[in-house]
Amino acid sequence: MLKYHFDWSIITSGKYFEWLVSGLKITLELSAVGIVGAFVLGLVIAVLKMSNFKPLRWLASVYLEFFRNTPLLIQIFFWYFGSYKILPTAVNEWLNNTNFEFAAAAIALIIYTSAFIAEDIRSGILSIPKEQMEAARSAGFSFLRSMQYIILPQAVRITIPPLVNQFLNLAKNSSLAMTIGVMELTYQARQVESYSFKGFEAFTAATVVYLALSVSITFLMDLYNKKVLNPQRS
Amino acid sequence: MIQFQNVHKWFKTLHVLNDVNLHVKQGEVVVVCGPSGSGKSTLIRTINKLEPINEGHLTVDGMDLLSKKTDLNRLRAEVGFVFQQFNLYPHLSVLSNITLAPTKIRKTPKKEAEEQAMQLLERVGLAMKRDAYPTQLSGGQQQRVAIARALAMKPRIMLFDEPTSALDPEMIGEVLQVMQDLAKTGMTMVVVTHEMGFAREVADRVVFMDHGVILEEAQPEEFFLNPQHDRAKQFLKQLLSPMH
Repeated sequence: MLKYHFDWSIITSGKYFEWLVSGLKITLELSAVGIVGAFVLGLVIAVLKMSNFKPLRWLASVYLEFFRNTPLLIQIFFWYFGSYKILPTAVNEWLNNTNFEFAAAAIALIIYTSAFIAEDIRSGILSIPKEQMEAARSAGFSFLRSMQYIILPQAVRITIPPLVNQFLNLAKNSSLAMTIGVMELTYQARQVESYSFKGFEAFTAATVVYLALSVSITFLMDLYNKKVLNPQRS
Repeated sequence: MIQFQNVHKWFKTLHVLNDVNLHVKQGEVVVVCGPSGSGKSTLIRTINKLEPINEGHLTVDGMDLLSKKTDLNRLRAEVGFVFQQFNLYPHLSVLSNITLAPTKIRKTPKKEAEEQAMQLLERVGLAMKRDAYPTQLSGGQQQRVAIARALAMKPRIMLFDEPTSALDPEMIGEVLQVMQDLAKTGMTMVVVTHEMGFAREVADRVVFMDHGVILEEAQPEEFFLNPQHDRAKQFLKQLLSPMH
């Protein structure tokens, strides 16, 4: 067996530690932007899919099937390498002035995850008795307002467990952003390994940090569910 | 206030409303009864267009329900609807159930809406339940909150679709009492119910339906003492002694 000297000190202080921290910062940013964006977009797609207007329903179905059924990595590559050829010049200029790698990764993560979230929310909506919509419409709320005030708040409560899954997937999937040069946690762990040859330490550190991130998301959602959404049950 | 003229409605091939003519005047309390499947629930649900009609004319509070120009949401805001299954919003407290529509649709300031909600809760005897959630209430309490919720919009018409049918017998009285008090204020009411005691005491008119047709329309005493139609006689007999 190869003799290997573990050296945890290189990842708990100094240059490599700073690299990992800067990577974590970008992973957190990407996850936060992704979760908020995917949730909002998922809500919109779910409501479109429930619309009475057929073309909107079709549009939502095409969106869902397309983005659920193609690999996330391809979608990331598409937004990074391919999108500028079809996007308007103004959008391209704006993207080039921002952090383009980050933006491409965020867009891909948001769109990909929103398709799954939309389906989860839609099944949540379908589980709300139709009488709730009747009660809301009878009070004088429009379809969209009924959704906003009465149906979605109930549907989202039911959807919390699958939503947590999607949020966890998104946080972990953000590691794929390294492939287009986003300097997030996995990218930095890779860097540490390349420079120090301490692959075990570097990737163990990354693993522990991802684990902590996931557990934090689960904990926060649980807290939100208990304290804000269902105060009457606690 | 509510005018049906030659109204027809079909569910696929089933003729659920067959040439219905009915005029409900302002301040009138009309009770609609009939065996199950007679179309009485459909009738009341057409008044706020939860069910659209296929033929004929229907005007409610001066608004033509078949006209595309009629703002349905405005109409529904003027017409309170009370369901058999209460249909309170389970994610909101009793108080929020009542204030939601006034604050969002009528744009009533929150504080004012809450004061009005408390007055309504006192009226239905549930002021102490303001912070409870619907699942913590009994059926009778839920239905009284549902009535308060409908009244919070200051409707010009109140519709009740079998409001006591889902209740345990000992809770029926408290709901009927609230409805009777409401009738005394001069509210225009259409009530689908089998509570013949309520019909006798509170209704100005009783409408008897079967197979989508209005078979009889009479003053309560007249209807109960001297029903004209055979189906009505049979229906009343069954209501009074269901075992035979």
